[in-house]
Amino acid sequence: MGWLDRLRGTKRAEAPASTELFDEEFQRRLDYLAVVSRRLFAGRMRAERKTKKSGSGIEFADHRDYVPGDDLRYLDWALYGRTGRLLLKLFEEEEDLAIYILLDCSRSMGFGRPSKFDHARRLAAALAYVGLTNLDRVGIVAFSSTVSARLPPGRGRGRIFKVFEFLRSLQPSGETAIAEAARSFAAENKRRGVAILLSDLYDPAGFERGINAVRYQRFEPMVVQLVDPREADPGERGDLTLEDVETGDKREVTLSPDLVARYRAAHASWREEIAGFCKNRQVPFVAADVNGAFEDQVLELFRRTGVVG
Amino acid sequence: MELLGLPLTQLATIFAVAGGAVVVLYILKLRRRRVLVPFTRLWDRVLADRPTSSLFSKLKRLLSLLIQLALLALIVAALGDPRPAGAARSGRSLVVLVDGSASMKAVDVLHGRSHAAREALRRLVREMGPADRMLVAQMDAEVTALSPMTDDPAALESAVSAYAPRDTGLDFARALRFAQDATRGNPSPEVVVIGDGAFGEARDSDGEVRLQGAPLRFVPVGVRGRNVAITAFAVRRYPLDKSRYEVLVELRSFSDRPEEVELTLSADGAPIEVTRVTLPPGGSSQRVLPDLSGASQQMEARIAFAGGGHDDLPADDRAYATLPERRRARVLVSTPGNRYLEAALLLDEYLDVVQVPPAEAAARLRSARFDVAIFDGPAVAVPTGVGAIYLRPEGADLPVEADAGFVNATAGSAIGFTRVDRHHPLMRFTNDLDETHIGRIVRYRPRPEDRVLGQSAQGPLLIAGERGGDRFVLLSFDVRESDLPLLISWPVLLVNAIDWFAGEDPAYLSSFRTGETWRIPVPAGLDRATVETPSGRRVSVPVVEGRAAYFGTEAGFHRVHAGEQHSVVAGNLSDLGESRCAPQHTLTLSGQRATAPVAGRAGVRREWWPYLLLVALLVIAIEWATYHRRVTV
Repeated sequence: MGWLDRLRGTKRAEAPASTELFDEEFQRRLDYLAVVSRRLFAGRMRAERKTKKSGSGIEFADHRDYVPGDDLRYLDWALYGRTGRLLLKLFEEEEDLAIYILLDCSRSMGFGRPSKFDHARRLAAALAYVGLTNLDRVGIVAFSSTVSARLPPGRGRGRIFKVFEFLRSLQPSGETAIAEAARSFAAENKRRGVAILLSDLYDPAGFERGINAVRYQRFEPMVVQLVDPREADPGERGDLTLEDVETGDKREVTLSPDLVARYRAAHASWREEIAGFCKNRQVPFVAADVNGAFEDQVLELFRRTGVVG
Repeated sequence: MELLGLPLTQLATIFAVAGGAVVVLYILKLRRRRVLVPFTRLWDRVLADRPTSSLFSKLKRLLSLLIQLALLALIVAALGDPRPAGAARSGRSLVVLVDGSASMKAVDVLHGRSHAAREALRRLVREMGPADRMLVAQMDAEVTALSPMTDDPAALESAVSAYAPRDTGLDFARALRFAQDATRGNPSPEVVVIGDGAFGEARDSDGEVRLQGAPLRFVPVGVRGRNVAITAFAVRRYPLDKSRYEVLVELRSFSDRPEEVELTLSADGAPIEVTRVTLPPGGSSQRVLPDLSGASQQMEARIAFAGGGHDDLPADDRAYATLPERRRARVLVSTPGNRYLEAALLLDEYLDVVQVPPAEAAARLRSARFDVAIFDGPAVAVPTGVGAIYLRPEGADLPVEADAGFVNATAGSAIGFTRVDRHHPLMRFTNDLDETHIGRIVRYRPRPEDRVLGQSAQGPLLIAGERGGDRFVLLSFDVRESDLPLLISWPVLLVNAIDWFAGEDPAYLSSFRTGETWRIPVPAGLDRATVETPSGRRVSVPVVEGRAAYFGTEAGFHRVHAGEQHSVVAGNLSDLGESRCAPQHTLTLSGQRATAPVAGRAGVRREWWPYLLLVALLVIAIEWATYHRRVTV
C-alpha cells in the first residue's frame, strides 16, 4: 500500500474514484519518483532557498557599505573598530521556492492517442508532487490563448489531491498563445520563481515569443515540450485537405512519400530549433515523448537543472 | 491494316463517348479527404515550394489521365479486330463436306471411319493458314452446316465434335450445291470432301453439278468394305386372315468372297426363326417366311457371320418392322338375305357381324354403336362415325343421286370393269376385278369430290367418297346379278373397305426408309405429334392430312405420341449405296480428279487484338503498381 493509500485513510469514501489518469499505479510511481529524486539530489532537494537579504536571517553571508537609512542594528561594530569602515552585516534569509507549472490546454494538446494533454497532466502531477514533497510552494496555471484556470500556490504533500482534482477538471480547448498567457500569469503572480512550461509549443505566434515572455517576466523558465512522434507523419497518402485542429486553417496537399519525408525532416528541424533556442538562452529543456515514462522525463528535467529543491 | 471487327466510325464513336466520360471525370474537382493535423504552420514550410510540387502533381494527374485514355484506346482498338493489310483477302475460303452417311459407321479402320473423318477434319483445321477461313458441313441425306465460315478454332473444334454420322444415304449432288452456294462471293474458295468416296453420281434434276472456280479436294477414309446387308425386310398380315402374317427378308453380300451368315428373326425381342444363309461374292438371297402367327407387333431381323463376329458395317446388319395392331370391327349388315355377302364376311375373324332385315336397320343403328354399316338394297341414314358400304342401294338417304331404272347388259354391250383405280387402298389385291361380268346396273351420279374406283362403259361401278367426315363405298350393281362373288376380289374388296373405314390402311408400311420423310398415320384432328427416336431424342413434328411428317435419320423402332394414341413405327437403312461401303480412294467430278488438301501457310494468326489486350493488361498492372507504391498519387 502506498502512502497515498495510507493518507486517504478515512477519507477514502469522499475521495473521487481513481481515474485512469491518476490511478494507483500512477501514485506508486510517484512514490518511487519522490524517493529517487531525493537520493539523486541529496542535500540540495531541500525546501528552503537562501537569499542574501539583511534582516531576518541568522546565517552571516556578507558585508556591504552602510548607507543612510540602514538599520543600525546590523552594523558590524567589531569590524568598524578594526578598519574604521561602516559596514553592514548581511544574513542569508531563507524563503520558499515558488514553482509554477504552466500547462498548455490548447486543442492541439488533445491531439492523438494517447494525447499529449494526458501525458502533460501526468508530468504536471509528478512535478507538483516532487515539489510538494520538498516543501515548495506549487501552483498550476492552465492556459491556451490566456490563462483559463489556476491552482494557487500551496505547500504540503496533502495538497497533491487538490492537484489531481484540478488537473482532472481541465479539458483541451482554444488556441495556443503562450506569450499572452505568460503576461497574464506574471501579472497575477508577483512572487517570482520557477515556471515550468508544459506545452507542445504549437504557437502560431512562434515558440520563441512564448518562452521569452516567461523569461522577461523574471521567472526562471523551464521548457518541457510534449512530443508525439506520429505527428511527423499523418499516415495518409494522396489528395488531402489538412485542417488545423486549433485554427481550422486548411491546406490542400497531394501527400506523396517524398512530401511526407520532407515534412518529417521539417518537423525534426523545428524541434532542434526549439532545443537550440533554449540552450542558447540557458533555459532547461526536455522533449517529453508521449510514449515515454513520465518519471524518466521528470528526472531528466531535474538532471538538466538541479534547480528544483 | 484493316478492321475485321467493328468499323472505324463505330470505334471512333465509342472512343469519343468513353474518352469524354473519362476526361469529364478527371476534370471534376477532386473530393479530398479531410485530415486533422495539430499545426498547419509547420506544413507551410514544406509547402513553400508548392508551385513546383503542385505542377508536378498536376503532371502526374495528367499522366494518369493519359494512361486511362491509352487503356481505352487499346480496348477500343481490340474491338476493331485489326489485321495486317490484305491478310483477310489473301486467305482461302474452305468449305469442308464431311460424309455423315451410314457407310461412315463402318469399322474397317481403328475406332471407325467417323473417328478417322474427325481426325482428318481436325488436321485440316490445324493446317489452316493464318488468313484462311473454314465452313464445316455434314452431308448425308441432308446437308447440315456445323459451323459458320470462320477462322475461330474454337468454333471449328465445336463443329468437329458435332459431327456424327446418321443411318441415312447420301445426297452428294445436294451437298455440292450447298458448297457451291457457300463459296459464292468468298475469296479463294476450295471445297474439301472427307469421306469413303462411295458418293454416287453428283447429278440432280438440274443435271450434273459442277464446282465453278473452286478446286475440289478429297480426303479418303476407309480401307475395305467386307459387308453383308439386310437390304429388305417387310412383314404383312394376310388380308383375309389377319391373325397370320408373313415376312420377307433380303440379304445381299458386298464381299468379294463367299459369306455364310446366321439370320435371326425376332418378334417382340424373342427369336422365332434362326437360319443360316450362304451368299456368293456379290450375291443376294431372298427369304419369305410364311404363315407366322402371334400377337407380336415389333419384328427384328439380325445377321452375324456364322463363324462369329460382324462385318465392316454393322449399321445394316439389323432391320426392323412393325405389324399393324388388329382390333375387332362391329359391322351391321342390313340385308334381306345374301349368302355371298355373309360368306365373305365370315372370312375375317376380327369382325363382329350383326345381320338385320332392312326394316330394322335404322333402329339398330340408333340403339347400338357400329363401325361399319352394309346396306344390301334399301339404305337408311347412318349416324356420324359409321362408314357405309352400299350394294346397289335404294332409298332417300343415299350419298349420291341415282337415275331411275336399270342399265342392262346386252349381247353387244357387256357390263364389266373397263377402268380400275389401282392406286386407291381399296383396290389392293383385287387384280381379277376386271374379269367381272355384270347383268345390270343402276347409274349413280357421283359428286366431283368423290372418286370412281371402277368404271364401265355404262357408268360408274365402284364409287368411294366421304360425307361429313364418314367414308362410304358404293357398288352400283347387285353382286348376285354378277359373277363377282366367284372372284377372289369380292371378299378382298369388302375387307379392304372395312379396313379403310376402321383406319387400317391396307397400304400399311411395316417399316420406313431412313433419309426420307415418313408420313405416319395419326388420329384425325391433331396438329402436331411427337416422335421419340431409338436414341431417345424427342422431336415434335407437324401433322398434315392425318399423317405426322418426320424426316427419319435413325434405324430402329420409333415411338409416335399423337394425342392419346401411342404407336410404334420402324425405320431401316435399306440403301444399297450405303451397304456397298467399299471405299473409293479417288474422287472425280466432271472429269476432274480431286486432289489432296493443301496446308495453309504456317505461322501464327495475325490477330492483333490479343496483343492489344495484353498491353492493356500490362498498363493496368503498371498503374496498379504505381498507385500502390504511391507514385501517381
